[in-house]
Amino acid sequence: MTRQELDAALARLGLKVPEKERDEIAAAIPLLEDVQKRLRPPGGRNVAAEPSHVVRFPEA
Amino acid sequence: MVPEYLTIAEAARLIEKRELSPVELVDSRLDRIARLDGKLNSFIRVLGDEARRDARAAEAEIAGGKYRGPMHGIPIGLKDIYETAGVATTGHSKVMQDHVPKADAYSVKRLRDAGAIVMGKLATHEFALGGPSFDLPWPPARNPWDVSRFTGGSSSGTGASVAAGLVLGGTGSDTGGSIRGPAAYCGLAGIKPTYGLISRMGILPLAFSLDHAGPLAWTAEDNAIMLQAMAGHDPADPASANRPIPDYRAALGRDVKGLRIGLVRHFYERDNEANTATRAAIAAAAQAFEGLGCRVSELTLSPLADWAACGMAIMQPEAYAIHEHHLRTRFTDYGEMFRDRMALAGLVTGADYVQALRRRRELVDELDRAMADLDLVMTAAAPTEAPPIDSVPKFAILERPSLTIAFNVTGSPAMSVRCGFTDTGLPLSFQIVGKRFDDATVLRAADAYEQATPWRARRPQL
Repeated sequence: MTRQELDAALARLGLKVPEKERDEIAAAIPLLEDVQKRLRPPGGRNVAAEPSHVVRFPEA
Repeated sequence: MVPEYLTIAEAARLIEKRELSPVELVDSRLDRIARLDGKLNSFIRVLGDEARRDARAAEAEIAGGKYRGPMHGIPIGLKDIYETAGVATTGHSKVMQDHVPKADAYSVKRLRDAGAIVMGKLATHEFALGGPSFDLPWPPARNPWDVSRFTGGSSSGTGASVAAGLVLGGTGSDTGGSIRGPAAYCGLAGIKPTYGLISRMGILPLAFSLDHAGPLAWTAEDNAIMLQAMAGHDPADPASANRPIPDYRAALGRDVKGLRIGLVRHFYERDNEANTATRAAIAAAAQAFEGLGCRVSELTLSPLADWAACGMAIMQPEAYAIHEHHLRTRFTDYGEMFRDRMALAGLVTGADYVQALRRRRELVDELDRAMADLDLVMTAAAPTEAPPIDSVPKFAILERPSLTIAFNVTGSPAMSVRCGFTDTGLPLSFQIVGKRFDDATVLRAADAYEQATPWRARRPQL
């Protein structure tokens, strides 16, 4: 993500981030991109793989 | 004369026998707070008058033959995300500094019902995430073992106040390690119980599906006592488990011979490399378990970064959603650490979040399979001793994969246990993890280890 793209994304979020802090956030984006990459197995996940559900239905 | 340091169990024995008055005990802690907290900053708000009033009531009740149990008359502190009726609950933030709840959090009510005396509200990282921060209405808590050092977070004030003996126990919350981190750096025992065991009702949330409430105290036994008081079904918390609560303290002292422990060394030797002192202390702790008759074997799991990525991709959007309105309207009223972490969190997409939940299911299954033939898992709680308080990077939680968040992802009970000291006298810890709802085995193993090793005897010199 470029700095311009970051500025646009923050604007979409409606966040008024001070200029100096934007540079630090921009520098951290590769860390976030690594997180995003690790969530996705190479070749994709089985289409039927369900997410975890926290809230359980009561036992019948 | 009340001793400088007492465990909950020690104080409870004395109170039950009427050899220690709750009033004397509370007064001694208030004196200690007045004398020492100026350099620790562990309290946001001391409730001296209320604590003395409650101590007098406890004393009268006990004198009247109505002893409630081991929390009766015990002074505790509450992380300032636990709501308290009529007393501000701020999240250590300007954003909520005027928030005065009408009711106690459910777990606070349970602690009060058990007879605990609330001494005050404790420092936290802002909304259990942003810290250590120096731009908030209150300064960050400091580590009693060395006040130039970080307490760990986010239950920073709880870690500091319990380690310093200002209170005998305290409440924390743990979304990615916020009980186990301060317990490790401040040399305490701190259990993140199974998800759903303690109600989150009335606790300011960080991330709904990862938030766990729990105690920090000096020993595993004290954790068992506090957990007993705090745990229980609460229909007001949709994730609260409706199942019987075992007698955690009764499980202590039972033989641990034959327990099967999987040691996940790659987490702290390869994935997030611990320093030499930490590795040596954990190796010695594993040997100590073998000496107690446990069977310790090596366990390999998915890389730590995978667990951390899953946890972070869930925590970030859940936290962002909670704070979205105030981030838009009052961005700079938050501290810089919190608000910038949230700005980055705002870049996590909906697809990222769902992929993380799908990954979560896989990782929960993976740990369940790995533990099918094990009773416990052991690994590091932190890669080093407490670092200097001014050396924690803004995006530290993404720079090195967390050693603790894996067990928030799985909802497993996980506990930090002290296992040594550095040459400079700072505590070292390991982490022990159980199967969901088998918190009793975690506590039992931690207690057996504490009884077999000398580490609990040393207190900070203040």
